[in-house]
Amino acid sequence: MKPISKTQYELRVLAASAVYVVLVIALLPQARHAASPATHLACALVPVLPMLYIVWLIARRVWSSDELEQRTHLIGLGAAAAIAGSFSLITGFLAAGKALSPEVPGVLLIWIFPLMMGSYGLAQKWAQRRYGASFCDDSEGLPKAIGFGLLALMFAGMALWAYWHVADEFSTGLFAGLSLGFALAAAMFAWRRRNRNRHEGE
Amino acid sequence: MNNRIRELRGERGWSQGDLADKLDVSRQTINAIETGKYDPSLPLAFRIARLLRLPIESIFQPEKD
Repeated sequence: MKPISKTQYELRVLAASAVYVVLVIALLPQARHAASPATHLACALVPVLPMLYIVWLIARRVWSSDELEQRTHLIGLGAAAAIAGSFSLITGFLAAGKALSPEVPGVLLIWIFPLMMGSYGLAQKWAQRRYGASFCDDSEGLPKAIGFGLLALMFAGMALWAYWHVADEFSTGLFAGLSLGFALAAAMFAWRRRNRNRHEGE
Repeated sequence: MNNRIRELRGERGWSQGDLADKLDVSRQTINAIETGKYDPSLPLAFRIARLLRLPIESIFQPEKD
């Protein structure tokens, strides 16, 4: 498997995530009202493709990692499996006991993968920190300010799209809030980077 | 385990990034080894010794009880 640099990996994950969000917003409502079974199935399953691409990117990244990175990946994936497994088990029991409305379990299933990816990322960062890495280290991969800035732009676009096309207040508010959060994180990392560069210059 | 990698790297005028490139590992891995937060595997320890042209036991020493 050809090694992939951290910057390439991060840019591709960001692009695939943007495509995923667009497909979920654009196609999932269509799937509910599709006339033919084929269209129904296609609209429901096409959003899965960018996520499968991300899984493949993660596999390439883990494969080309060195021994310490593989250890932190293992810790991250172990924590992610435990958290997502517990979440699906609890949801499954609640659904089996009819404690949730019939539509909820299907929607919750969609959130298992993002939950798994989120907990994988956080647990891996925690493990890296234990081995002396800094979360603000920009020496490898995409600078954090740029990464978070791109995420902020992506969610701002989603918020505008939801506002004009879906007219759903919850989606618009969620995407706008996420965009603002990522923009603040980008600003913080840009400020830290500027301060560090200034100190190094003195 | 204690090691002299930081000192030996300094003598050769290499940065952590230079050593990481020569060993085909990340800079964070070199940092973790130098600060004693991570003990390298035997194959990596031998690669370090070969690169520094020193016996492995002169680079890595067990911690005293």
